[in-house]
Amino acid sequence: MTSTLVRQAQEWSVFKAAVVKECIHDILREQLSGVQYDPDEVGVLSRSLADCIKDKLKDVGFDRYKLVVQVVIGEQRGEGVKMAARCFWDADTDSYAQDIFMNDSLFCVAAAFGSYFY
Amino acid sequence: MPTDKKITKEDTWKSDDLRRHIRGGGHDEESSGSRRRDDERRHRTGESVERRHRDPEREARREREKNRERDGTRERTKPRDTDKDRHQDRRKDDSRDRMGEKEERDKERSRAQDRVIKGTENVKYRNGDRDSRDKMHDRKEKENRDRERVKARERDTERTRERERDELRKSDRDKEKEKNKESETGERDRERKSDRDRKRNEERAEGGRDRDREHDREKRDRHKEREYLKETERYKDRSQKDKERKERHTDKEHSGQKEEREYREQHRKEKEERERRHKERAQHDTGESRRHDGESREVESERVHRERKGSDREREGKRDKHRERRHREEAGPERDPTERTSAKKSSSSSDLRVHKDKTEPVKTKVEIAEAPAEDCGYDEAQDYEEDFEKMDYEEDFEDVDDSEGEDEKQTRSHEEREAREEISSQRREEIEAIQRAMDEENERVGSAQPRLSTEEDDRPKRSRDSETPQSKVSQHGRFMDFVAAKHREVSKKVASKQKKRSTELLRLIDLDYSITFSLLDLPPVNEYDMYIKNFGTTNTKQAYVQCNEDNTDRDIQTEEIEMSEKWTQHPAERNVCCGGPKLSHEASDESVTKLSIDSQRLATFLRSASQVVAVLLEEDRAEKQSLKKLRTQADTLSFSDGCLQLNTKLPFLYGRQISLVQFSQVQRQTMLSVHNPSAKPSAVRLDSKTIICIWNIWEPSRPQKILVYESEVQCCCFSPGKATLVFAGTSVGSVVLWDLREHASAHYTLRIGENDWTLRHPTFSTDAVLAASGHMSSVSSVEAVPATVAEGLRPELPLLASDEESSGLSFQLASLDGNGVLNLWVVLELPKANDAGSHTDLGLRPGGKVKLLHSSTVLTTSERSSTRDAKKTTLLQTLLLKFLPSDSNHFFIGTNMGLVNHGTSHGLKAPPKFYRPQVVGFRPVDVASIDFSPFGEPIFLVGCGDGSVRLHTVLSEQPLMEWTSSTAGQPVVSVQWAQTRPTVFCVLDAASCLHIWDLLEKDFEPVITEKIDADRVTAMAVFGDPAKQNTYSGISLATQSGKIEMQYFSKRLTVPESADLEKLQIMMQEAF
Repeated sequence: MTSTLVRQAQEWSVFKAAVVKECIHDILREQLSGVQYDPDEVGVLSRSLADCIKDKLKDVGFDRYKLVVQVVIGEQRGEGVKMAARCFWDADTDSYAQDIFMNDSLFCVAAAFGSYFY
Repeated sequence: MPTDKKITKEDTWKSDDLRRHIRGGGHDEESSGSRRRDDERRHRTGESVERRHRDPEREARREREKNRERDGTRERTKPRDTDKDRHQDRRKDDSRDRMGEKEERDKERSRAQDRVIKGTENVKYRNGDRDSRDKMHDRKEKENRDRERVKARERDTERTRERERDELRKSDRDKEKEKNKESETGERDRERKSDRDRKRNEERAEGGRDRDREHDREKRDRHKEREYLKETERYKDRSQKDKERKERHTDKEHSGQKEEREYREQHRKEKEERERRHKERAQHDTGESRRHDGESREVESERVHRERKGSDREREGKRDKHRERRHREEAGPERDPTERTSAKKSSSSSDLRVHKDKTEPVKTKVEIAEAPAEDCGYDEAQDYEEDFEKMDYEEDFEDVDDSEGEDEKQTRSHEEREAREEISSQRREEIEAIQRAMDEENERVGSAQPRLSTEEDDRPKRSRDSETPQSKVSQHGRFMDFVAAKHREVSKKVASKQKKRSTELLRLIDLDYSITFSLLDLPPVNEYDMYIKNFGTTNTKQAYVQCNEDNTDRDIQTEEIEMSEKWTQHPAERNVCCGGPKLSHEASDESVTKLSIDSQRLATFLRSASQVVAVLLEEDRAEKQSLKKLRTQADTLSFSDGCLQLNTKLPFLYGRQISLVQFSQVQRQTMLSVHNPSAKPSAVRLDSKTIICIWNIWEPSRPQKILVYESEVQCCCFSPGKATLVFAGTSVGSVVLWDLREHASAHYTLRIGENDWTLRHPTFSTDAVLAASGHMSSVSSVEAVPATVAEGLRPELPLLASDEESSGLSFQLASLDGNGVLNLWVVLELPKANDAGSHTDLGLRPGGKVKLLHSSTVLTTSERSSTRDAKKTTLLQTLLLKFLPSDSNHFFIGTNMGLVNHGTSHGLKAPPKFYRPQVVGFRPVDVASIDFSPFGEPIFLVGCGDGSVRLHTVLSEQPLMEWTSSTAGQPVVSVQWAQTRPTVFCVLDAASCLHIWDLLEKDFEPVITEKIDADRVTAMAVFGDPAKQNTYSGISLATQSGKIEMQYFSKRLTVPESADLEKLQIMMQEAF
């Protein structure tokens, strides 16, 4: 057990919100630029975005983290939208990052939560 | 519920049908359906009977079933039960003998089937049933020899473990199945145990202390076993939902309470049952009892089977929630107080777990990694680990073996069935063939196995006791239990580790609710913005577009602006008026050179300009003065239009008589006046010297230049061109000249009074230098020879000639002395002035540039003397010299005999030699004055000393006109033609009377005779410009006192008339 702790300490890679946010930002911009809102496609799109972000974050290497990626895509029609998240977690280790992409026809909120896995 | 029931029933029955089909070669669906119904009915009656009988075993089972029913699985039980019954029935038909052998084979086969599978479930099923029956049968015997079995089981466990190890090596899929089986085995173990226990209790009740002990121990073991299984179960079911956990938790508690109740009840029931069984055993034969037990067994196994199926189904779709729950619930009623305490512990720990687990589902929603849920059911494992180790597994493993075998078979069978459903009936035959082949194979293997196994001695023993499934069981368990145990051990270790770790970690980790993160806050767009967004651009037109917006022009200064500093200074400082820091030297040099050039030009310019300016100022003043004087002296002179007086009140001019006044022929405003040396001594040392003043009549305040000569000047004249040279003939017989262009600095400046006067001495003098060629007597007349050397009479005006001459100083000068010697001089201008003085030209003043060269001498008197009149005119004196303005070869000399000689140069002969008066005969009369008409007419006036005035033409000896009495006998001093009117001339006599003649008006007497009484007029000069014919023509009168008055002629004397020249013409023609 002690050895495990040591390993943990060594492999301790904090969930860096800024890095994650950048990842998300890149992916969103890459995949959503010029995309128009289509209710039929958005479901698939959001799922693929979530997977994409997850994979990317795994590549970045938060080995000890459980990752939850949530992607919401909505149509922009002038309505107000409020999204919030609340987490029950260990604030010392766990964190989240989110980024928003908007264009004329849609908005996309992608949030990645990282929970440290002991 | 009913619908649910139906569906499940059908599912179940269908698979059963399938099995039957496979086995029996296909049954009618309807028949099976009807049978099913029959079975159901039978089952119900059986149940009711059982209930009536209050069979404690059944009761207990019912309890368990009820629990299961709560989970919605009850519906499955009935059909299964009936199914089991059916099997049982079928089995009754089978002969015991055959069964014994067959079972032996079947068991081996089933073991093989674990790995190989396919189509053996029916056999297995039968085996299972038979196993249970056999077990029941066996158990009775077994109870009698507990001790033995304990030992045997210890060996069994070992074997199981070995087998487990073998199993571990199998493929993943097998392992998984194994696990499932294991867990299921655990369940069945429990059930079996409970049955067994009950029986044991019975036995115990019958007698045997050890059995009591055994009961306790077994109970405990059972409990542990169950706990362990639960753990493994949980370990496997990592994906349990939080909700489920909670449920489980509550269930646990619930069941905990229930357990107590049930436990008490169970005890009671058990007692009853024990009593009853006792009775029964006494009453019934062994076969019946066996049957009874077997039936109960059957039912149990049936239930397990059902469970299997259910779990399978769940595996297909829903997951193992139900199973999990079932396990729990099954475990519930049978827990003893010890277990309950542990359960409480576990529940407390699971509270924690649940707490922790709450987060987990969040994670697992998207991604399910290896779950930390391993710690589930940890406490139990930990708590009882040691006990578990010590424990002997005898019974458990035996049972496990049995049930495992069953389980496996059942699972297989279930899978088979499902597979079968899909497989077409045509292939069944094929499959059956394969099955058969596999069965044979299994037999072979089975027969080989016992020999290989370590427990060969045990088996015969057992088989001796009863030809039994026991040996089968042991053989069967040999394969399975090793794997399971090994796995259990390993997983247990891991689980314990992780559990410990988690508990420790949980103590350290604080979980809290984060603040609410706002992921997106998109305010609603207000209506106006929305409208603008959608329609804002409609109906608008963009009129202007700025294209190429980024292409802006930028001004770039590519060439630097050249800059240099310059300064200027006005007025210039030290000849430099401008310059820069760099070029200051060059600039100054340039400016210096320029200035040096400029200085010369400036000097000349200023010199002339100053004169001009001075003249202008003087003119202005003089005009005003004259106007004033004119008013005051309006009546003084009748002919006068005005008068201007030159300022001769200079100290050095005081008391001097003006002997001569003369105007320049070209510069008609320039006048010279010769002031003779005065007899009275004055303050100035210039008394003995003659002073010649050069005047500009427009600048009357002071003379422009003052010329000084040592002796008396007899005659004087200007150069023919510009009035730059002044020539004079002196009484000592010398000819002198002044160059007026010489700078004032080169001359002696005398300060007289308040003013500086520059006294100019002659530039060139023939005194003593040219004495040889000069005059021996005083020079009576000096005259510049006109340069126009044209032959004959030239009509052009002398003005034009003078223009030509003005360009250069190349003219001749003639001087005449009283002896009649006429000297001709050439006036030369030296190219450069020599300030040191000339060695050759001794007469030249240092710095002077103009000199006279003696050209020729003409002796006029000798000529005459040579004539016949020479005796008479030995005393002939030449007094005047005049050149014909139009032809300089002709000169006229006035003599003292009243004659005017006509001489020519170069030996020319002109017709009249003399111009004599009309009175015949010579008489000594001095010719006082000769004047040619300025208008080019070849006529001249001669004034004589006897007061007569003659008008001669050049061509005739006789005068045209002769007025002898016009001056009343007074000698004529001067006769001069007016410059502007050809017919007007003035005569001044010695009595200071001025007679003005106008031949046009009167040719016999002067028009105006004016006697100037105040001051005797000694000299007179007429001025005016014939070309301009303006009113500024007049007469200059010099008085004895030294005053000079400029009298302007009135208009009638100055304005020319056309008849003037005609009159002269007529007069000339009348003469001839």
